[in-house]
Amino acid sequence: MATDMQVEERTFFRRLDWNFITVIFSLNIIGLITLYSATHGLTASLSQTRLFWLQVVYLIMGWLVFFGTTLIDYRFFNRSAYLFYILNLMALGLVLVMGRSSLGARRWLELGFFRYQPSETMKLVLVFILAKILSKQTKPEGMGFLDLILPTIITLVPTALTIKQPDLGTGLMLMAVFVTMVLFVKVRTSILAFFLVVGMVAIPLIWTFGLKPYQKSRVLTFLSPSKDPRGAGYNSLQSRIAVGSGRIFGKGFRRGTQSQMEFLPERHTDFIFSVLSEEHGFIGSMTTAGLFIFLLFMCTRIAAQARDRFGVLVGVGAVSILFWHVMVNICMVIGLLPIVGVPLPLLSYGGSMMITAMACLGIISSVAYRKFLF
Amino acid sequence: MSEFDTSEDDVRDLVSRFRIIYIVLGLTLAIIFSRLWYLQIIQGDELHEYSEKNLLKETKIHAPRGLILDRDGNILVDNVIGFNATITPQYASRLVDTANVVGKILAIEPEKIIEDVRASRWKNGPFMPVIIKPNLTLDEVFRLKRIRIDQPGLNVEEAVMRYYPLGQNGAQLFGYVGEVSQHEIENYRQKYHTNRFVQQGDWIGQNGLEEQWDPVLRGHDGLSYIEVDAHGRESTALNKAILDLKPAPPVPGDSLVLTIDKDVQEAAMNAMLHQNDKIGPRIGALVAMKTDGEILAWVSTPSFDPNQFAQGAINSDTWQSLAKDPYKPFMDKVIQDHYAPGSTVKPIVAMAALQEGIVTPYTIVSAPGKMWFGGRWYHDAERAGHGDINIMQAIEESSNVFFYKMGIQLGIDNIAKYAKAVGLGQNTGIQVPGETPGVFPSKAWKLKTFDEPWLPGENLSNAIGQGYVLTTLLQEALAYSTIATDGKLYKPFLVSKIEDQNHKILNEYKPQLVRDITQPNDAGVLVNKKYLAVVREGMRLVANGDKGTAHWWKIPGIVMAGKTGTSQFVSFSADQIHKNCFNRPFWLRDDGIYLAFAPFDHPEIVVGVLAEHSCWGNLGSTPVVRDVVRAYFEKYHPSWIKPNGPKPLLTDTKVTE
Repeated sequence: MATDMQVEERTFFRRLDWNFITVIFSLNIIGLITLYSATHGLTASLSQTRLFWLQVVYLIMGWLVFFGTTLIDYRFFNRSAYLFYILNLMALGLVLVMGRSSLGARRWLELGFFRYQPSETMKLVLVFILAKILSKQTKPEGMGFLDLILPTIITLVPTALTIKQPDLGTGLMLMAVFVTMVLFVKVRTSILAFFLVVGMVAIPLIWTFGLKPYQKSRVLTFLSPSKDPRGAGYNSLQSRIAVGSGRIFGKGFRRGTQSQMEFLPERHTDFIFSVLSEEHGFIGSMTTAGLFIFLLFMCTRIAAQARDRFGVLVGVGAVSILFWHVMVNICMVIGLLPIVGVPLPLLSYGGSMMITAMACLGIISSVAYRKFLF
Repeated sequence: MSEFDTSEDDVRDLVSRFRIIYIVLGLTLAIIFSRLWYLQIIQGDELHEYSEKNLLKETKIHAPRGLILDRDGNILVDNVIGFNATITPQYASRLVDTANVVGKILAIEPEKIIEDVRASRWKNGPFMPVIIKPNLTLDEVFRLKRIRIDQPGLNVEEAVMRYYPLGQNGAQLFGYVGEVSQHEIENYRQKYHTNRFVQQGDWIGQNGLEEQWDPVLRGHDGLSYIEVDAHGRESTALNKAILDLKPAPPVPGDSLVLTIDKDVQEAAMNAMLHQNDKIGPRIGALVAMKTDGEILAWVSTPSFDPNQFAQGAINSDTWQSLAKDPYKPFMDKVIQDHYAPGSTVKPIVAMAALQEGIVTPYTIVSAPGKMWFGGRWYHDAERAGHGDINIMQAIEESSNVFFYKMGIQLGIDNIAKYAKAVGLGQNTGIQVPGETPGVFPSKAWKLKTFDEPWLPGENLSNAIGQGYVLTTLLQEALAYSTIATDGKLYKPFLVSKIEDQNHKILNEYKPQLVRDITQPNDAGVLVNKKYLAVVREGMRLVANGDKGTAHWWKIPGIVMAGKTGTSQFVSFSADQIHKNCFNRPFWLRDDGIYLAFAPFDHPEIVVGVLAEHSCWGNLGSTPVVRDVVRAYFEKYHPSWIKPNGPKPLLTDTKVTE
């Protein structure tokens, strides 16, 4: 009772983790500087320069989401996980139906002033519901086959709906989150071995009978980008030239020839990191990569200090969303992974990614905010 | 204590696993660190040099499109090599001077060149070469090559161009190629349900088979990297190994093997354009089809030369005059034009009347020159009428009054049921863009479309193919083929095989039966084969009987059967109907239609011709049909045609029983 009183007396601002917020904010500033350069190239049109100011608006919205989520007791997401899940699933279904009627791929619902992309919120909702289910899992030897059925179905349904849109990238992200969380909770060794064997048998079968020719070519492109002349190969090449040409100190703010001369494709979204590397060199790109890893480290530490299993797992889930985006994006830009359309959280232009990233961080902040509570 | 071990609040067992996450994070940082070190510190200087001088230029090598071949392997659509003059904006440092010199050689206004280059720089970026003039003559190529060294940015590029050896013949069917528009770039994937994409500057199929099969035909563009100096000219090789550059050769598109027979196709165009009579070249459409749905010839006139489009040589004057031509050269009249089928619908109405028991083959009906119904006269084309006739004679002489009476007794819904069962008033599913479904009316259709009830008098006009009935020539050919083959309706098709460049067959298409109307089927009609034989006998008389409307055009040795029709699109008074059609202004003259199959007792081929403004089916269309049928048999069964040779075995009319 006495401790409760004490806690209530602390103000909101004093209870916030200011180190955490400072790291996020630094990355925001790096993002804005780089985006300004990327959208104000030699041949930039008005519609490009506008993107910078839109991103400022998204950033403000992102921080509102961050503080809003911090204030919400994260256990609320435990109680209403199923409700969120069903609502989000319905939204995904709706996108599919509406998308079909308009003959083609659509990933969003038009909500008057903005476009709601259900697959984006699904990443978080999946973390909630998996954390809820897996937090009840306490067998010391790990999860058995039966324990895995429900979480697998829960993941596969939205994944299938997302891939059907078609949005392979986001679908794979959902799977990555699932695998991360399940492995974290621990799976029996025999089950792991089983899935390894099944995977080795099933993949050739799916390859032969399950995939359409264009899907095969997409996977082949994924595995060997130089096969697709206009697509990944050239972009990957130009990105590598951009990154490498930055050398130690970079060419300077708005001096990157690769980015300013429009050699780089998608330089304000997926390739923002190569603009950064070109203009600010090894020092700048390594600082940014370091900040990202440091941020993820802080997030992980907060999750490790959570007071209940749900808190731990929600934290780990949110970390996995951020980690996979950061890792895949940076590796693709520096030529270690093939080009897949994954944006870099906090740096890439785009409202959806900004809100998702800030919400992830907000939930972790919410866990941190309540580590001394109850 | 044991209680807490299973509690949701106990997190101790999880804490140990965080170590793995820290390790993964650390490893990721180490990998990024070493890669950035490698790129920026070790390779940094060399990559910096690349980026500073923009030395690397990516060149797209357009893949040649697949060919289009006829059923014997003759080339219908080909590729040829041509030369384009291009200017790359980024390197054109003396653009005004260059434009003046080049403009003089190519006879183009220098201002236009400057404007084109600047517009493209704005739109497509500075590195996309702008085509100044496509398809250069050899003289122009030599003269440009001589001055090229002094004009930075100027280049003569080799290009593969599309060539249509048949010229105007089949232009609407084959389509042509043209530069892709912004709209097409955005919609390509959705339109073709493919993962392929097109880019600014690509050429894609437009209209006809070129459009329909574009993803198959277009192939995969290749890519090469060249290093260029500051003027955009190729320079000596730098260290390519550092970037791991591998050029990708283009993969040519796959070829289409059509069911079209080039000989029949050429005979068809010839027959449409060169009839030695007072009607002259026919405006309209022709389709020749095997009775299993394989299309042999497909003509629409007047036509245009697709080579002008494919070589980018079309100028706006030519284009305007084609687009404004009242006889619509761009329209594929085989499937895109629907018209009132007129008397050509009578065999289908006859089939309905027989099957529904309105008449038997022996019923004699009085068919005078006009008929009073619902307070007005309905006329026959023959002022004197046809006397008392049976249903076969009604088809032979094309009596309107006979079929007015059938229409009254059948009612429109009954007629529509049979018409739809043989494919009229609906899309045939042929894989050519822009097919129009036409209309076969019913009571429900009129209520839905006009919000008005069906009038009894409309049974009469629609029973002779006027009123609301609209069909395409291909639909009618299929309906006739159904009658010819004892009730089998096939899906028409044009592509029989898709082959890759090594003639390996990738895909094969076979005749596809839609339904057999003599067997229980989805259309809800069941026609006795003996009634089909009665209808066929009537059609045989059309082409062979003394009073037959088409009996003047026979082929010795080949027995044809068909039906003529006249499509009136303006309503005339009784005087007008009997007035000589040729005295009317050309554009007010009726369209003539004739469809026939042959040989009569084992049909192989159906040919239909629509001749616009030719007044009568028998005058305008019948000689054309005869010529094409003849061309087919001359190629495939020449021995049957000999005027004095043995006649093909004719099992005379099974109808008489």
